[in-house]
Amino acid sequence: MALKVLDDKDDTKIIGESWVTTRFEDLEDWAQRNSFWPFPFGTACCAIEFMSTLSSHYDVSRFGSEVVRFSPRQSDVLLVAGTINDKMAPVLKRIYDQMADPKWVISMGACACSGGFYRAYHVMQGIDEIIPVDVYVPGCPPTPEGLIYGILQLKERVSRDRKKQRARVERAGKLPEQEISDRVDARPTPS
Amino acid sequence: MSTLAPPLPETPEIGQDLDALAGVLAKFPGSITPQEGLDQPTWIVRREILLDLARELRDNPATQFDMMLDLCGVDFPDRQPRFDAVYHLYSMPRGARLRLKVPLNEDQPLPSLIPVWKTANWFERELFDMFGLKVTGHPNLRRLLTHEGFQGHALRKDYDPARRWILTEDQMYQPHFDLPEGQDDLFERMTVNIGPSHPAMHGTFRLMAVLDGETIIASDVEIGYLHRCFEKMSETHTWNQVIPYTDRLNYCSSFINNVGYCRTVEKLLGVEVPPKAVWARTILSEFSRIMDHCVCNGSTLVDAGALSNFWYFFQPREEIYGLLESCCGARLTVSYGRIGGLSQDLPPDFVERSRRLLEIIPPFMEDVEKLIDKNRIWQDRTVGIAAISGEEAVNWGWTGPCLRASGVGYDVRRAHPYDLYDTVDWEVPVLQGGDVYDRYRIRMLEIRQSLKIIRQLLDRGMPEGPWITSDPHVALPPKEACYNQMESMIYHFKLIMDGIQVPAGEVYSMVEGANGELGFYIISDGTSKPYRCHARGPCFPLFSTFSRLINGGSLSDAIVSLGGLNIIAGELER
Amino acid sequence: MPPAPPAGRPVFKGPYPPHPKTTTPYKPGLAERLYLPLLGGLVVTMRHFLKNLFGAKMYTIQYPEERRDYSHRFRGHHILTTRPDGSVRCVACYLCAQACPAECIHIEAGEHPDVNIEKYPVVYEIDMLRCIFCGYCVDACPEEAIIMSNNYDMAYFNREQSIVGKGDLMKPYTFDEDRLGYRPRYPEEDAKRSKMRRDAFNLVDEAKKAREREELAATSATKAG
Repeated sequence: MALKVLDDKDDTKIIGESWVTTRFEDLEDWAQRNSFWPFPFGTACCAIEFMSTLSSHYDVSRFGSEVVRFSPRQSDVLLVAGTINDKMAPVLKRIYDQMADPKWVISMGACACSGGFYRAYHVMQGIDEIIPVDVYVPGCPPTPEGLIYGILQLKERVSRDRKKQRARVERAGKLPEQEISDRVDARPTPS
Repeated sequence: MSTLAPPLPETPEIGQDLDALAGVLAKFPGSITPQEGLDQPTWIVRREILLDLARELRDNPATQFDMMLDLCGVDFPDRQPRFDAVYHLYSMPRGARLRLKVPLNEDQPLPSLIPVWKTANWFERELFDMFGLKVTGHPNLRRLLTHEGFQGHALRKDYDPARRWILTEDQMYQPHFDLPEGQDDLFERMTVNIGPSHPAMHGTFRLMAVLDGETIIASDVEIGYLHRCFEKMSETHTWNQVIPYTDRLNYCSSFINNVGYCRTVEKLLGVEVPPKAVWARTILSEFSRIMDHCVCNGSTLVDAGALSNFWYFFQPREEIYGLLESCCGARLTVSYGRIGGLSQDLPPDFVERSRRLLEIIPPFMEDVEKLIDKNRIWQDRTVGIAAISGEEAVNWGWTGPCLRASGVGYDVRRAHPYDLYDTVDWEVPVLQGGDVYDRYRIRMLEIRQSLKIIRQLLDRGMPEGPWITSDPHVALPPKEACYNQMESMIYHFKLIMDGIQVPAGEVYSMVEGANGELGFYIISDGTSKPYRCHARGPCFPLFSTFSRLINGGSLSDAIVSLGGLNIIAGELER
Repeated sequence: MPPAPPAGRPVFKGPYPPHPKTTTPYKPGLAERLYLPLLGGLVVTMRHFLKNLFGAKMYTIQYPEERRDYSHRFRGHHILTTRPDGSVRCVACYLCAQACPAECIHIEAGEHPDVNIEKYPVVYEIDMLRCIFCGYCVDACPEEAIIMSNNYDMAYFNREQSIVGKGDLMKPYTFDEDRLGYRPRYPEEDAKRSKMRRDAFNLVDEAKKAREREELAATSATKAG
């Protein structure tokens, strides 16, 4: 399940908030969404298309993702590119757990989104069996522009969500971090 | 370092030396039954004499079967004995092939052929994993491709293709090390786990190394993290529907896989491919080979820290993607081949675009060569690393550029020509060093040879005519006919609903993939779906040698030698 | 005429070369030991750097402002074509669903009031996350009812959104020629091929006419002379 988008009708006027803190939060948001550091969990053909996205023809570093970090502690977007099978599943789950919040997941390609055409005995039918996914990018493999489109969608989603989320949270009287962890716990685990 | 080997003399056609085979047959009376009427000499062998027969075939100077290409299993549930273990052997000096079939039941073990051909190690593990056939004398008979929590044997006919098993963390693979004798000082050793999620492991390999200081004294490799059940999926899809699955075997040069599979099925069908399709297949295969070598060298250089070359190598790839995309609509996983030819006609500007590519690609190669060839840093890191001699490489089942870098000039395009390779003037580059530096150099030389082949074919001009066979039982009729004529519509309908009906039989056919001999062993039972489709990926024997290559070296050498082998996980684990 | 294939097959005839370590000792020259070739490498990278800095053509495609010019055969998002009256051309024959290797097309047929067009799809859904964009559905369709477009901008936030129904797939056939992709027939290519053949024919024709003129000039010269 992706992050739930909050309603436009929510009252965004916050009690106790000043102009300075909202500007600061806007700055934080802007910095966050313009510097996604991806963790390319690349296994198969989609990883080659991701390498093409990194290379000079498409250049994902224009969107702040130049720094491709192979360490889960230092990255915030888990970009799953390629087929994940049952042998790789515990590894993927462990990498996802090791990433620090806030983190997002982009599932790239048919195999990562849904198992693709591998309805088989060793292939996981979509990574959302074990981790929550924010953006699904279809294609086999998706063109680099398709992937960049997915990253842009994530960018928009992230900034929209954080504003509304913060608004809702402060009205409810909870700390932002606690609310986030409540949401994470409330994500439905796939059966 | 190394030099280009002098061209080897042409030997007269030896072919299948039946006298030599007859000599071996006479030594094992009553245990071997030759099977007639197949594409290669095939013997049905009793498992009791298998080990002795293998030794004889390898050591007898008349037969000299020094390479075991492939071992796979076939399940015949209605037959007694139920399974067949099928060995494909190759004689490098004679260019001769032989197939051995060993019928057996589940409870009858096979002898391990590791003492004869070291490459048998992983093949036997895969046989056990997929079919449950035991092998006596194997040092580490465990599952190879499927995970440790998997139950059952996946390629048996009674195994449901969609039945999955969950792997939990406590069930993960425990390494098996061949620790050298006499090392008592346990305090200095450390076991390091690298991968499977690691930048240098190309995504899906797990290396467990026992280090003594910086030196690797023992290592174990785990694969199977990209096992996508190609062989089972090909049994549940029709003949043409398997083509997208073949794309994803060696996904860096996907068109070559299409060609390999289509050629194999065309052999079974006996259908002839029109000249235009043959011409296009040759040119696009060579472009795919260039693409694959670019990725291999680019990634190896990135692993060693030389990042600029990666950008330089990916630019020709993008240009070739443009050509492939103008032909069939997709960049990477093209699915352009069909049984009988190509899926659509070539675009009108194909020749111009290809010619432009021939001008665009060489400057990038030259840039990389200026940066890397005489660079002492690169030479220090790669010369003499992971060196293997030609004879040992053949015993380990190596083919392709890695074998040619060790001095053995075996190239399927030259040894068993297909398509238009024997009508153009090109050379097989061979280097003598056998190390990582030579594997890098030979790929650069092969890119040049591929460009030469393409130039000659373009100069010859595009043949006129159809792009796919006109046999309506094999290929979809052209769309104008389909919309206007009832008969074509009926053929179209039958081909989609029922699929191609391939006559019963079996065949093993090979093409030169970017990493070596890509073979397909296909058994048809006369229906619209393959009975058994086994892909012999060239990376499989290459990677099985990895432990032996890195033992004694340091960890950084291991990373660079992995890059030099060009292991594509899709082909390794199908 | 292509040259005859060479006789004989195997290239390699034993014995195997000896182990490389004994025959190929690495002996770098003085220049290599002093790292001098690295200067040559620096020249290469500096050349690229300066070329890019001072106004050379950059390879980078500035997506999303610029889009790459994919060919008209690109296998992108599917289109269900429509008849002139706006209804869907598909007759729910299930050939595309049968041909699809991923089994991502789901069709439910219904009876069409016009007896010449017997059926039409009441439900036509493609699961975009399963689709491998192989184009087999386009190859299989006997009515040219499903084709592909040039469009690759697809990203979904959840699984429900990714199952695309008939409404989102239907576009009139004349929908923006530039945005069409993989199809059974390419009229623009046929036109180009006819032009190429005509040009080639014209060249031959011109040459023939020139020869005839020369012959005529030669015979009239001999007659006059």
